[in-house]
Amino acid sequence: MKLEIGNFYVKDVAFGNETKFENNVLVINKEEALNYIREDEHITEADLIIAKPGENVRIVPVKEAVEPRIRPDGRPVFPGVTGDVEKTGEGRVHALKGVSVLGVGKHWGSFGDGLIDMSGEGAKYTLFSQTINICLVADTDEEYERYEQQKKNHAIRWGSHRLAEYIGRTVRNLEPEEVEKYELEPVTKRSENMQNLSSVVLVMQPQSQMEELGYNDLVYGWDMNKYVPTFMHPNEVLDGAIISGSFMPASSKWSTYDFQNFPIIKELYKEHGKSINFLGVIMSNLNVSLEQKKRSSIFVAQIAKSLGADGAIVTEEGYGNPDTDYIMCIAALEDIGVKTVGISNECTGRDGASQPLVTLDVKANALVSTGNVSEIIKLPPAEKVIGELQALARDGLSGGWAYDEILGPSVKEDGSIIMENNAMFCGDRIAGWSTKTVKEF
Amino acid sequence: MLKEIERAGIPIVHMCNLIPVSLTVGANKIVPTISIPYPLGDPSTSEEEQWKLRYHRVEVALNALTEDIKDQTVFNVKI
Amino acid sequence: MKKAIHYINQFFAGIGGEEKADYKPEIREGLVGPAMALNSVIDAEITHTVICGDNFMGSNKDEAVDRILNFLKDKEFDIFIAGPAFQAGRYGVACGTICKAVKEKFNVPVITSMNEENPGVEMFKKDIYIFKGGKSAAKLRKDIKSMADFANKILNGEELSSADEEGYFPRGIRHQVWLESGKTAAERGIEMLVKKLNNEPFETELVIPEPDRVPIAKPIKDLSKANIALVTSGGIVPIDNPDKIQSASATRWGRYDISKLDNLESGVFKTIHAGYDPAAADEDPDRVVPVDVMKVFEKEGKIGKLHKYFYSTVGTGTTQAEAARMGKEMLKYLQDDKVDGVILTST
Repeated sequence: MKLEIGNFYVKDVAFGNETKFENNVLVINKEEALNYIREDEHITEADLIIAKPGENVRIVPVKEAVEPRIRPDGRPVFPGVTGDVEKTGEGRVHALKGVSVLGVGKHWGSFGDGLIDMSGEGAKYTLFSQTINICLVADTDEEYERYEQQKKNHAIRWGSHRLAEYIGRTVRNLEPEEVEKYELEPVTKRSENMQNLSSVVLVMQPQSQMEELGYNDLVYGWDMNKYVPTFMHPNEVLDGAIISGSFMPASSKWSTYDFQNFPIIKELYKEHGKSINFLGVIMSNLNVSLEQKKRSSIFVAQIAKSLGADGAIVTEEGYGNPDTDYIMCIAALEDIGVKTVGISNECTGRDGASQPLVTLDVKANALVSTGNVSEIIKLPPAEKVIGELQALARDGLSGGWAYDEILGPSVKEDGSIIMENNAMFCGDRIAGWSTKTVKEF
Repeated sequence: MLKEIERAGIPIVHMCNLIPVSLTVGANKIVPTISIPYPLGDPSTSEEEQWKLRYHRVEVALNALTEDIKDQTVFNVKI
Repeated sequence: MKKAIHYINQFFAGIGGEEKADYKPEIREGLVGPAMALNSVIDAEITHTVICGDNFMGSNKDEAVDRILNFLKDKEFDIFIAGPAFQAGRYGVACGTICKAVKEKFNVPVITSMNEENPGVEMFKKDIYIFKGGKSAAKLRKDIKSMADFANKILNGEELSSADEEGYFPRGIRHQVWLESGKTAAERGIEMLVKKLNNEPFETELVIPEPDRVPIAKPIKDLSKANIALVTSGGIVPIDNPDKIQSASATRWGRYDISKLDNLESGVFKTIHAGYDPAAADEDPDRVVPVDVMKVFEKEGKIGKLHKYFYSTVGTGTTQAEAARMGKEMLKYLQDDKVDGVILTST
């Protein structure tokens, strides 16, 4: 299966009369774009705001990030989400690089939403301080969840996927600056040299813990709570087969942008044929009950064994009770002789003294740490806020609070903030971007 | 929390769904529940079934408090 | 100039060896023994040296600590340094004991140094900075230098690095840091995996610690006379959440009177726990805190009585230190009412 990603590097984004990509500048006709968004009648108010790296801007509550893309052959970018269910992972897709569409609440935040600072101390916490962000700031008629801490955020999330596709259209028929090629031979049809290398699988555990549908990551539009692990091609992940959900505390989240650019997959591709034989992805999930967790780990270990994997990387979109799925899966692989490395974040508490993962097993002897969700972060006021700053304190974002005896509220009168890393949008970059680790002091 | 109470000599039984977490935390007496969001009564079943399940599992937990155990123990439930 | 106080034992003060180990605490102005070496490398003036016999500290710990704290209470100092104690067990324990007490009482940074074989390391490494020191006094200057280098960073307000980088024993405190190498998690993960596959040595970024266990409490002899309490980490509270318990990373807890209730009614109680779907718990809170069946067990005589209150907090993201504190606070009430056993329900 061969996937070509045609890259168009965006140096600047501006509003103008015609939505187009010219001389590395993306121009957006705001009204036209907004009209397209408003075709979803659940969007009651919408605006587009551009935020660039280095600007003194704070964005909150951020619900989703998407890389703008289009397929020249007309298939939807996100099958089962922005269009019919179609194949992904092969053929050509065009991508606008260096930009991201952000789905932002005009007022209302929820548990899994996060914050982005485009400059200053706060910028180092998230990848999305380095992209030019096209913020879809919207309100919706989803009254049933207006005051709920957990929100599906359906309209805003779908709005950002659709907007990403709308912007992608600008490069449908253009020649990309660069074409990345991703190709793996079928597992049993590889050369002898390749077969002599250690075989490696990537086990992904996307967030799927809400039993009520609508909050979880989707694979081809299918809710991953109602799913058992299967073998997938890494190209499918890079090519829009999965979209992010609306549940996990923001710093542990894999946004759709993360799936589209998954650094662990890209790194495995880089080593493919050199130090390893990259077999593919065992796509698992994260569960609520022990029985479900066990079932998934049984599926994963069996698939790895049947494929003849010598090694595995396991990575989870989450922390807290999902650590059980993570550690159980690592242990299940080690038990059948698959040498395994885990990549995830930790929760050592504000004081750093708590147990880093909720379950521990000495079999997990090779772990990469991408951050501590409960680290306290204080940041000065920003000149401009996109969205609504109060959402951080008022709406139950996982790293914000309305009231605390010692620390006071998360949002101070002067606009400065105090929060847990938990609410940094994709702050722990578990997909593999993270240059953070956790050390003992 | 659990350990502070047991450390003071009061026997405590942990009713939870995630047995591995409970074992890692260091609970000595554990009785399984059916899920995280509804430990003791599945809303998709009848009131009567939920009651029976809850009555049974809490009874197992109460009996567990009287058991003289030597190591971390997960007690069996029937329903 | 910042000020420091140094603690040493009778031997390094030149008073004597084993025969003088009962030497009572004293404080002298200025520099005694190793304090001179320390004074030459630390960015502070060592104003006083505290001396105490190792055996006196060992067998009269409370008295020794009291006396020393008393010496210090009218002194101004920015940092407190003890040792180095090398492999000397009693000296190491003494340095650990006094450093911990000084830190708690005066809230100043405290530093000591010991060899890894010193029993003081295991006892105090979680509480204070203990630098990895040599086996014997031959390493005195080197050990003093490593304590002083770190002390200088603290005194000058410089950023402190991790335990391994600085050279002290890890205290069980884990914080996130940005790697200078800029190496991403993806690169680190695959590099680690390739090493593991090739049977080469690799270094995990999270060492799985040995589990901590509490002794199993004595079982209840006669359940029909026992007083049983319900505790939950599932965040069940009265509908208005009167104690403002946080929905994650909780630092507060509440106890709610159930003596006049047969069960927990929907609309009267609810969950504020953010870590799971609240629908089932809100619809019938007994699914999380089984008050209804406990009342029946009480009526049926299966148990002596159900304790008047149930106790509630939220488990998700709550630090162990906070959970332990809340547990201790609850314990007081449980003990006051002579509770014999507890059922803790978690979600």
